Amino acid sequence: MELQELFHLYKRAGFGISLKKAKEKSSKKREDIIKDLFQSSKKTTLLEVSVDEIKDLVKKSSGKISKETRDEIRKLSRQKLLDFNREWIYRMADTNEQLRERMTLFWANHFVVRGRNIVYYQSFNNTLRKHALGNFRDFVVAVAKGASMLNYLNNQQNLKKKPNENFARELMELFTLGEGQYSEKDIKEAARAFTGWRHNFKGDFAFREKIHDFESKTFMGKTGNFDGEDIVDIILEQPQCAYFISKKIYTYFVSHEVNEDHVEEMADIFRVNYDISEVMRHVFMSKWFYDKSIMGTKIKSPTDVLVGMMRIVPYKFKKTRELVYVQKLLGQDLLNPPNVAGWSGGKKWIDSNTMMVRLKLPSVLLSDGIISFDVKGEFEDSLTEFNKKKNVGRRLDVESDWNFFENEYKKSSHAELASVVLGANLQEEAKSFMDSLEKESKAEYCIQLMSIPEFQLC
Amino acid sequence: MKRRTFIKRSGLASSVLFVPNFLKAHNELWPVTLGNKKLVIIQLSGGNDGLNTIVPYTNDVYYKNRVSIAQKKQDLLLVDGEVGFHSALSNFKNLFDDGFVTIMNNVGYPNPVRSHFRSTDIWQTASASNEILKTGWVGRYLDGVAKDPVGAIEVDDMLSTLMKGKKINGIATKNARLLYNTTKEPYFAKVLENSKDKHLSEHNLGYLYKTAIDAKSSAAYIFEKTKVYKSLWEYPKNSFGKQLKTVSEFINSGLKTQIYYTSLGGFDTHANQVNSQKKLLGTYSDAIAAFVNDLKNAGTFKDTIILTFSEFGRRVKQNAANGTDHGAANAVFLMGENLKNPGMFNKPSSLLDLDSNGDIKYEIDFRQIYTSLLKKWLHTDTEAIISGNFEPLDLV
Repeated sequence: MELQELFHLYKRAGFGISLKKAKEKSSKKREDIIKDLFQSSKKTTLLEVSVDEIKDLVKKSSGKISKETRDEIRKLSRQKLLDFNREWIYRMADTNEQLRERMTLFWANHFVVRGRNIVYYQSFNNTLRKHALGNFRDFVVAVAKGASMLNYLNNQQNLKKKPNENFARELMELFTLGEGQYSEKDIKEAARAFTGWRHNFKGDFAFREKIHDFESKTFMGKTGNFDGEDIVDIILEQPQCAYFISKKIYTYFVSHEVNEDHVEEMADIFRVNYDISEVMRHVFMSKWFYDKSIMGTKIKSPTDVLVGMMRIVPYKFKKTRELVYVQKLLGQDLLNPPNVAGWSGGKKWIDSNTMMVRLKLPSVLLSDGIISFDVKGEFEDSLTEFNKKKNVGRRLDVESDWNFFENEYKKSSHAELASVVLGANLQEEAKSFMDSLEKESKAEYCIQLMSIPEFQLC
Repeated sequence: MKRRTFIKRSGLASSVLFVPNFLKAHNELWPVTLGNKKLVIIQLSGGNDGLNTIVPYTNDVYYKNRVSIAQKKQDLLLVDGEVGFHSALSNFKNLFDDGFVTIMNNVGYPNPVRSHFRSTDIWQTASASNEILKTGWVGRYLDGVAKDPVGAIEVDDMLSTLMKGKKINGIATKNARLLYNTTKEPYFAKVLENSKDKHLSEHNLGYLYKTAIDAKSSAAYIFEKTKVYKSLWEYPKNSFGKQLKTVSEFINSGLKTQIYYTSLGGFDTHANQVNSQKKLLGTYSDAIAAFVNDLKNAGTFKDTIILTFSEFGRRVKQNAANGTDHGAANAVFLMGENLKNPGMFNKPSSLLDLDSNGDIKYEIDFRQIYTSLLKKWLHTDTEAIISGNFEPLDLV
């Protein structure tokens, strides 16, 4: 496999590959490289921050939890969610289970929830990780039973006497079929089937018979005493479902400009037994995945920008808040998607403000640069906190490991470094521009490469 | 590595920016039909408690539900036989008495959502409560009417959904000089210098370059146009006051921007509401009065409408922590010199007919207000901007 193709594969299916490793692999055939890619993601390493303090608080209050304890838990939870966000970013930057983590990130923007309670969120995030390459049917059921999802889409409030349609609607509109593929009646009937699907205080799924509607339902032309799992099964019988998910995968992994033939190919494979690995393998094996119009033409998400840089020059935020601050400036606070539809991606990442931040970011993070933007406060902020915001230049407290970089690239040429940083398919203009850059120090050369718009593509 | 070294090495001190053909001076792109009317949108973020802002002091239900946090009649700035303003709103009350304020009660939407995020999304995208729109209504205005990022400015450093269109996004800045300086940094200039027409026609890459060039020209336009004008008016010394002062400087220096957006946060008063809300309303009232007087003084108030909303109101019944929880319909304020119906636009809720959560039911859909402003103030069609047909109100 050619180096360019390797860089491309690893940026899309993972978060990047070093020059050394790419060279090692380049003598292998595509099939074997992809086998390796799946092999190294075979196991699942859960991502966890310690929530012992919270569990202790719950334990101590034995049964009834006072308001004070609740407030304390909430406060702790907020802090822990920031920690989780940080650990997730670091995980993506140094995991060997690249494909699994990439898929986890993808699914987190498909089965969207907001991080509110660390115990629930962490467990949900690991549900995504566990099922990321597995069977889609099991995945949907596990997601539907997750405390984060039950909360976020109000299934906790879905009662026999008063059904709440929020989850049923999004299950079909966003998670499985797409808009216009079901009737309003289908939503009502599906909502009834999910009544009584709740979680307990610990976040475990708990089916409550008393509030479940056991009467007969008619859903997508079938009638029976359906529960939530039956609804998922009926949805998956619709040919549309495999198409819808394939299209979403195509848009994320291949291109926003959808090639219907390629999506149909994927859907045919996916439909057989909803095996996510199968469809992904097909994408990475396809000739079209390595087409010139595909390689190096996708706009990176903010997470890709941050993690991609980390894979070349490892850096850490000394203050977790500052990581989240940078995410907000770039438009992707990882645990707070804008709504249940998630981030649209592609061109939507880019506006005048985020573009300027992106171009400035390498010097801010890796070269002691200043950033002069503020982020919006939280809804929960008090007026004092609101007024604290000052529009002044800031230096972020970041520690970067240039030794790692030097070791990795001391023997490589400038052109090789450029191919790692910028990837495939550079335009002539960009090449002559790169020639005009100072090349005295590789570190500086690297930062300059990261500061041109081409770096925003992968 | 030191930043200075980096900049020194990567930057060319003199850089004549290469401007591609399709990007000429902003003025040429601006359709002549656009008026000079301005709309300033303010969000009281967190969910302001409308009932303790515009207080129905003759309503027993109000006092019964708010045993420890109700505003007493003797403290209020009485408006009529029905309502009085919170005592912190004296400056706001002066504007009201001068006929510059319309207060609409019970504004909301069907099936209200009580999440800050979701409800803000609904207000900013002008969607129905079960509908997800990815562009903001101001963004769609930019797409269809202004066709220029400088058509709308958010006085903040990050762009909200409100300002994002399908093709065109507004621009966010609190400080024109800072924004301008950022685009003037040597590497930025050098990068743009490298862009060629061919480059710009490339699909995504071209979009990135075009956005960077847009950013630079917008920042330069805002800075050049506003640098000579400084407001001498005294504003409260807090960040909200500063933001409104910036808006006034933008308007008064003749910036072509028609829509401005800014927000005041801190209204999520679940506990010990009385003091914190008092401070917040005082901040709002004092800053908005300075803003109106500043504009009046400069002769631009007649062309400006100010819309103030909050993503939701709060529950009628107070909670145990002397605060209030997330509610539904709420009061919305409109300010300007030529209002059709200054004063109280409609009656406050009787508080007898609440929804199943104990929240005020909506009587005016917020999209009716947007429709009225778009049609009658900005003189534009609403079809491509507001989905659904909403009866305009007699506001402006």
